Amino acid sequence: MNTKYCFVVFGIGVALLSMTALAAGQGRGGGANPAEPGRPWPPQKLSDGQPDVQGIWAATNAGSVSLTNPITGGEDFDRRLTNTEIKRPSRIVDPPDGQLPYQPWAAALQKQEENNYDHPTRPEHIDTQHRCLLSGIPRLYTIVPAYKIVQAPGQVIFVWDEYHAYRVIPLDGRPHVASNVKLWMGDARGHWEGNTLVVDTTNLRGARLSFIGDFNSDNAHVVERMTFSDANTMTYEATVTDPAVFTRPWTMRIVHKRRPDDEVWENACWEGNVNPDVWLDKK
Amino acid sequence: MRRVLILIALFVIPCAAPAQTIPRTADGKPDLSGIWQVMNTAAWDIQDHAAQKGVPGGPGVVEGNEIPYKPEALAQKKKNYEQRATLDPENKCYLPGVPRITYMPYPFQVIQKPNELTILYEYVHTVRYIFTNGAPHPKGPIEWWLGDSRGRWEGDTLVVDVVHFNDQTWFDRAGNFHSDALHLVERYTPIDADHITYAVTVEDPKVFTRPWNMSMILYRHKEKNFQLYEYECYGFDFEKIYPYPDLGAAR
Repeated sequence: MNTKYCFVVFGIGVALLSMTALAAGQGRGGGANPAEPGRPWPPQKLSDGQPDVQGIWAATNAGSVSLTNPITGGEDFDRRLTNTEIKRPSRIVDPPDGQLPYQPWAAALQKQEENNYDHPTRPEHIDTQHRCLLSGIPRLYTIVPAYKIVQAPGQVIFVWDEYHAYRVIPLDGRPHVASNVKLWMGDARGHWEGNTLVVDTTNLRGARLSFIGDFNSDNAHVVERMTFSDANTMTYEATVTDPAVFTRPWTMRIVHKRRPDDEVWENACWEGNVNPDVWLDKK
Repeated sequence: MRRVLILIALFVIPCAAPAQTIPRTADGKPDLSGIWQVMNTAAWDIQDHAAQKGVPGGPGVVEGNEIPYKPEALAQKKKNYEQRATLDPENKCYLPGVPRITYMPYPFQVIQKPNELTILYEYVHTVRYIFTNGAPHPKGPIEWWLGDSRGRWEGDTLVVDVVHFNDQTWFDRAGNFHSDALHLVERYTPIDADHITYAVTVEDPKVFTRPWNMSMILYRHKEKNFQLYEYECYGFDFEKIYPYPDLGAAR
C-alpha cells in the first residue's frame, strides 16, 4: 500500500486540492515489504471454521470515475489533458450489455450529474468521496486504495485506510437492524459457502457510485459474493437490487489481489478539510 | 513433605482463581477483543465537574484531579473553555485523538491478533492500530491525529507507548489540551472477563510541568446482538444534497 495511490485526481483544480488534502494530514507507509511469504492454499481454517483470508487486498480494475469504464482518476486526468479516450471493459457483467439498467428519469439524472462533474458550480456537484464522506457499499470495493481483512470469531471485518472506513460483518445469522436505520456502510450479514463469503446488505443510504453520477437510492439491497480462488485472488461480485432507480437488478465484478502485509498507518480524511468553493467553476 | 505441599496449594489457588476469568488468546495473553465503552463523563470534562445544561456532572478521571499546566498553558486552557463552542476540534469533525477517543460516549470494538490490535471506534468511524510486533516507532517527526501506538505485554497488562501527535486535538470538551510533544503510556489491565482498567500517563513538557495520570474502567457491551452503528461527522447539511437534491421529488 502506498501513498501515491491515495490521490484521486479528476480535474486540474482538483489535482491541487488532492495535494492539499494530503499535506493536511494524510500519510501512510510502513516501507516496502515485497518479500511476502507464500500463503497456504487451500487456506488454513480459523478456530471458528472460517477460511483464513486475512491480509491486505486491493481491486485490480479499480477507479472511482465510472462503473462502466473503470479508469482511475489519474487516467481521467490524462485523457482530459491529451483529449484521448481511454476505454476499459465494463465492470457490469449483468445485464450482458455492460450498462447500468437505469429507469429513464434516473438515466437523465445520471447524465446531468456527469455534466455537473465536468463543470461543477454548486457544492452538491462535488462527489461525496472528495468531501471525505463514507463511500459505502458496494462503492468501496471499486476504489484504488487497498483495504485490510481481519477475521474474528463469527465476524469478517474490512478496514479501508482511505476515509478510515470499516465494516463489521457478523456471520451468526442475526436479524438486520430496524429498516428505518439508514447507514452509509449499510447493515451486513454474511456466511461462508466454502471459500466464498456471501454478504447480504440492507439499511443503505442513497449514495453516489462514481464520479460521473451513478447512484443508488436508499431502497437498495446489495448481495455480494467474494470468492477466494487462490491465496492471492478474490473475485468480488455485487448484485444491486433497487427498483426505485433501475429496471432490473444488476451485477458488477471486480478481481481483487493480495498486497504485501505492511503496517497500515493513519490516513485522516475529514469532511471540511477543503473548502468546497475551490472545486467549483468560477462564473 | 506433606506440609510443603499444603503451603504450595495455598499460594497457587488464590493467584490462579481470578486469572481464569479473563479470556485469553492461544498465546496465553489476555484477550481484549470485544465491544467496550466507558461509563463516565470524561468526554465533557476529565476533571471533577458539576452538571450544566446538556453536560452530565460527575467525578473526573484525573488522578488527584489536578492537571499541572504551565502558567501560560493554563491561560490557554481557560481561553479554550470560554470559547469551547467554536474552538473544540470535536465540532470540526477531526479525528479526536488519543486518549479522548477512548472515553467519548460511543462504543468501540477491539480485535486482538498476536501482532496488532485493531480498534474500531463508532465515533467518526475512527480506526486505530496498536502494533505489538516488536517494531519500534517510526522515525519522526510525524504528526498524526491518533499518534503511533506500540504495545507490549507486562504480565496481564497491555502497555502502549504513543507518540507522533499533532497539536490539533483536545482531551475533552472543557478545553484541556496538549501540544505535538504529547507522549502517552496507556495501560490496559483486565479486571475480569467484562472490565478493563484503562490508565494513561500523560507527558508533554511544552504544556505541563510534570507527567500526570488518568484512570477509568472500560465496560464490555453484553447486550444480545450488540453492534457498532455509525457516527459520520459532517460540517454541512449533506442530507439535502446527497445523493441528489431532486432524487426524492423524482421518486
